[in-house]
Amino acid sequence: MMQKKVCMLGGFAVGKTSLVRRFVTNMFSEHYQTTIGVTVEKKTVTVDHQDMMLMLWDLYGEDEFQHVRESYLRGSSGYILVLDGMRKATLDTAHMLQQTVVRTVGPLPFVAIINKSDLQSEWEIDQTIIEQLREQGWPVFFGSAKLGRGVEELFGHLATLLMDPSLQPRAHS
Amino acid sequence: MPVDKDWTQLRTLLLAPEQTQLDELRERLDNRSVEPRDVSRVLPEAFAIRGGADQQMSTVLTPYVENGFIATVRKSPQTIVDAIAPIMGPAIRQAITRALQSMTEAFNHSLDESLSIRGLQWRLEAWQTGRPFAEVVLLHRLRYRVDQVFLIQRDTGLLLHHVAADGVVVQDQHVLSGMLTAIQEYVRDSFGATRDQTLNQFQVGEWTVWVEQGSRAYLAGVIRGTPPASLREKFRDVLDRIHAEQADAFVSFEGDTAPFQMVQPYLEDCLQAHYESGQSRNALKLWILGSITLLACCWWGWTTYQAHARWAHLVAQLKTEPGIVVTNERSMWGDHHLEGLRDPLATDPSSLISEAGIDPSTVTALWSPFYALDPQLIKRRAQVMLKPPSTVQFHIDGDTLVATGSASSEWGTETRRLASFVPGIAYYRDQSLVIVSIPDLLSQINHAAIHFSPGSATVEPSERSSVDQVLVVLRDLDHAVAQSGQRLRLEVLGSADGTGSVALNLQLSKQRAEAVFEMLKGERLGASTVVTVGTGGPLDRRGLASQYPAQRIVTFQASTEPLEPKSEPARP
Repeated sequence: MMQKKVCMLGGFAVGKTSLVRRFVTNMFSEHYQTTIGVTVEKKTVTVDHQDMMLMLWDLYGEDEFQHVRESYLRGSSGYILVLDGMRKATLDTAHMLQQTVVRTVGPLPFVAIINKSDLQSEWEIDQTIIEQLREQGWPVFFGSAKLGRGVEELFGHLATLLMDPSLQPRAHS
Repeated sequence: MPVDKDWTQLRTLLLAPEQTQLDELRERLDNRSVEPRDVSRVLPEAFAIRGGADQQMSTVLTPYVENGFIATVRKSPQTIVDAIAPIMGPAIRQAITRALQSMTEAFNHSLDESLSIRGLQWRLEAWQTGRPFAEVVLLHRLRYRVDQVFLIQRDTGLLLHHVAADGVVVQDQHVLSGMLTAIQEYVRDSFGATRDQTLNQFQVGEWTVWVEQGSRAYLAGVIRGTPPASLREKFRDVLDRIHAEQADAFVSFEGDTAPFQMVQPYLEDCLQAHYESGQSRNALKLWILGSITLLACCWWGWTTYQAHARWAHLVAQLKTEPGIVVTNERSMWGDHHLEGLRDPLATDPSSLISEAGIDPSTVTALWSPFYALDPQLIKRRAQVMLKPPSTVQFHIDGDTLVATGSASSEWGTETRRLASFVPGIAYYRDQSLVIVSIPDLLSQINHAAIHFSPGSATVEPSERSSVDQVLVVLRDLDHAVAQSGQRLRLEVLGSADGTGSVALNLQLSKQRAEAVFEMLKGERLGASTVVTVGTGGPLDRRGLASQYPAQRIVTFQASTEPLEPKSEPARP
């Protein structure tokens, strides 16, 4: 079976772990637990009648105190940038993380998700910004780990990208 | 028109080949159907080109291949069996062999420990934990065992292949591979180590995780117990082989782990286990136990045989013993039982039991009394009941008691009356018995004399026979007197001749009497018989006995008197 390493990247408390948990176990917990270091989960998806095992590296949230270790990014086939719609600052973090990935591993396939769509009325990230992101070539999804919205689509889309050989970098040394 | 005709001819001459090709092309364009022959020429190449570009070809063909395979299995399963038998056969045999080895090993370990104290403790542990006893035994006797081996791609942390020992519970090897890789990255980053410096080993409880790094992948072994250093070399060797043989697969790796199925035998080779060998010690224990058991059996068999032989010998002896009839006997587990008839005069069975080497306390005997008709017992019974004097001998002739020798008339008369009352005796015959009376016997004694040499008080050897005759008569007399209810008084009287002084003669007389008296002392006489020592009557002026003057003799003065309850000072 095809296996791919995918990193979950984003700012502090944007909902990376919640998305992974919702995707892997279809569960959600209101109780917040900060990720220490990294947690690895797996989920098998089917793309074009072909099974693919996604190894999801749920990295701890990036903030001013701790930065993502670049060594965790090594060997990734793709990544997911997670933003918190209620905190515009997480967009800047996402930008910075994307640049880190490009600098460290190369231009990998990725998708971005603006989480917490269940609270969309309180979002700081407005439609204009979203359009700008899309113009930059970012595949932007809306989702809610809490409600399970957009989660399957998010990972499914990334799996489709990973299946496309033209988008796969020969990143292995 | 001639000009047109010429032009046509010229064009035909100049462009005929091209015209032909043009016609063929036109025909192809007009007829668009694809010729199979044309497709067959390009099909393999087309497959190769498209298959190398992406997975689309595989994706498209997979359903058709699957359907074709299913149809073939349904239609002609034997074909599939023949095709896969060479592959599956060895694999199945190997699996069965491993399972049997594992089962045998577990059984052996269980058997070894089943009777020891340690084994009982482990059985208790198995009962408490709910695990099989064989598993508990194996765990305790384990020196080390490689539970799992992971082959992990170094950069991605993706699991390329994984094997686990039988019975090992595997949680999620893919996630474990990722986390293992993440931990290594974390440790390396935290200590500022280079890519070549890696976390080679860590320990969790009874498990040790060994990591052997390669250029493309690393090998992680989860080991229970304390592994030897040689195992690390084994890991290294296996990893080098995998890198050498799978070099292309590593270079082109994009997440498809199928090519790494080939490394299965190498990883299985790493699943080594070593158990504490209790074989020699157990063998010694078994030898000792076996020897003790054998010796105990031999000892038990020998003692049982001996006891049985002793008992059989005793029973046989009792059966031949006169006056004893064994009617029932049994011996079981050291307890013996005897039952039968016994004449009171027969030999005491207790003495025979002791002589046979059997503890009398282990024998329960129940003897009923009876009179046996064995000749020797009838004779003994007659002797007990009739009390013959020593001069009388009894013989048993059938049911007749025959008495010979000599006896007093009183005893002879009494015996004739009583003999037929002795059990076993119907008749009594005493024609050969000489009857002597008390006066005759007294006379014989009183006329006997023992002669001495001059000046000697020693009984000469030539006088011995005279003393013996006196003894015989004395014996009969003693018996006859006892039978008559009287008692015998016998005086031994010494005398001397006329030579020498009176004092000397008196002393010599006494010494001679005492010498004879000493010879009579050995004779067993009746309780009422009294023997005294004295000189031969009143002495004259020369110190000679008046009755036998000037004689160097000892004479006897025997008489009877009514029985008085009065003890005398001297009796032999």
